Amino acid sequence: MSELVATPLLWLAVTLVVFEAADVLSRRSGRHPLCHPVLLATPVLIGVLLATKTPYSTYAGATQVLGFLLGPAVVGLAVPIWAQRATIRRLAKPLACALLAGAVTAIVSAVGIVWLFGAPVEIMASIAPRATTTPVGMAVAAQLGGIPALAAVIVLMSGVIGAMTATPLLNLLKIKDYRARGFAVGVSAHGFGAARAFQVDQTAGAFASLGMALNAVATATILSIVASLI
Amino acid sequence: MIGAIALLLVCQLAGEVIHRLTGLPLPGSVIGMVLLLAWLAFVPRERLTLTQVTGWLTAHLSIMFVPAAVGLMEEGAILSRYGLGILVAVVVSTLLTLAVTALVFRAVAGREEEPEPEAEEGAS
Repeated sequence: MSELVATPLLWLAVTLVVFEAADVLSRRSGRHPLCHPVLLATPVLIGVLLATKTPYSTYAGATQVLGFLLGPAVVGLAVPIWAQRATIRRLAKPLACALLAGAVTAIVSAVGIVWLFGAPVEIMASIAPRATTTPVGMAVAAQLGGIPALAAVIVLMSGVIGAMTATPLLNLLKIKDYRARGFAVGVSAHGFGAARAFQVDQTAGAFASLGMALNAVATATILSIVASLI
Repeated sequence: MIGAIALLLVCQLAGEVIHRLTGLPLPGSVIGMVLLLAWLAFVPRERLTLTQVTGWLTAHLSIMFVPAAVGLMEEGAILSRYGLGILVAVVVSTLLTLAVTALVFRAVAGREEEPEPEAEEGAS
């Protein structure tokens, strides 16, 4: 029996079962951002590991294959960008200006605030890519000397908050253009924002996906330039 | 199917190689994304399977970062010490980024054209 515990089979099976249960709950909630399957599944899995006295390294080794898929998934973001090339060319100027402004705002405000709280460099490095999609955020954080697990959770929190506040905030600002609304929520809250935008309007959803994909590249590029200067 | 997966892996591999050889500080997967974009531009043809494969990967992105998120169990000290600061930073930064991005887009687009489809009040 004990050699079975050492194979990836056990923890992969546990992870998939817990995740699937979390996904069912998330669907029942009408995909409420606070019921995101990762937010539900993670504490349960941590509880299981603590209860069975399983060290994280064992779990991480067994579930490596899941994390491996993040790489090809990031590469695949080229496909939605390519599909929207006509839009990108038509609206190059507003998209580029909004993207740059949004990416810089996200980095500077997030890093600045944790700096005010006296956080060490590894936390600043983990929060800097907070607006990118999770796999890019984790990779960038690791590159900057941050903590990928913390980056993953920070990116998730950004998504939850962005998806919940976008509609009231953008109404308050009296922005009616679905392209601007969608793009903003994609740049600030990545895939969560895009999922929310698609619930409201197809145009908003398409621009949100574009914002997510473009900001993954923009934030990673800005941060790597900054990192090479420091 | 295999061809599409191979294309993704080769782009990522090339990205990792470029990352290591040139010291370009972008993650290998992000360089791979740019390489795939270049491939799509230079080799024009229908790519139904590639779209299917990347669509499947994107649709199941969530479970792929569960193992990393579970790693938070080892960061208890940091979270209890800086959790509040992180929460404040994420909330403020997310709202600020939303506002700045939308306002800049409208300011620049508005100078060039009339707004296209108007949104209904109350929707996002």
